[in-house]
Amino acid sequence: MIAEARSARGGLDPTGGLDAVTTRAVRTVAARPAAIRPDWVSQLLDDGLDHPRYVELVAVVSRAVAIDTLLEALALEPEPLPDPLGGEPSGDIDRRARPGKAWVPMVGGGSITQALSLVPPENAELETLHGPLYLTFEEMSDPAIHKDGLTRPQMELVAARTSARNSCFY
Amino acid sequence: MLSWSAQATDTPVELRAVVDPRVDPLLPGGRELVGFVDSVLAVPDPAAARAVVEQRGEAALVTAASVIANFQMMNIVADATGIPVDNGSRLRNADIIAELGLARFDHLETEAT
Repeated sequence: MIAEARSARGGLDPTGGLDAVTTRAVRTVAARPAAIRPDWVSQLLDDGLDHPRYVELVAVVSRAVAIDTLLEALALEPEPLPDPLGGEPSGDIDRRARPGKAWVPMVGGGSITQALSLVPPENAELETLHGPLYLTFEEMSDPAIHKDGLTRPQMELVAARTSARNSCFY
Repeated sequence: MLSWSAQATDTPVELRAVVDPRVDPLLPGGRELVGFVDSVLAVPDPAAARAVVEQRGEAALVTAASVIANFQMMNIVADATGIPVDNGSRLRNADIIAELGLARFDHLETEAT
């Protein structure tokens, strides 16, 4: 999926390494996320991609895009991808997750910090990466926090401009 | 979060700079930071990274790159899962949404009132 995401962001043709539905999902999530609508997600489900697999796909692709973006921004080479591991998926999902106002089931009231909570290990990985890249969820409540050369308003200017560039309303 | 953190720290900021890079954000190094974001996400320009280093130092460049990376991730998660923006937030920020023209980005269904 990460190879497919890199291909999509680079404007290259599909790799052929995934089935058609997963290919479509990865390429849109990686390269055109602002174009996603609820009926597009529903179509993926009709075509055989269930909610847990979609959430895991979003999680893996979003983290890969983050790491690739960091390296691109610092003019560094992309990390080589490891060989895929064998074995079956863990199937670890949170049975408390329910449909709500968001487009995937989640635990809680539709907060961004719970967006991937249907698949707990993926929600945990999101938080694990969020801290070193930006702020921990706990640090986010401090408007005066400084981090390695930037004040909080300077960090938020970068965050807001990034979201505007990505046409992300949230 | 930009408006909130600026108000809480008595820091002057011009929010229109978020959507218009011709506008001075008023923050120290603000123009350079916006230019760096645009260089990473739109038109690559090695001078943009150098400008951040000259203005704020190498650590600031790494922090800015990390923040861009994080919000690439969070934007994808929000857009792909359809995280709703609740009506309370829409109302509290209605003036900012109108001033910056952010409604054009809104593909999330508005909550029923």
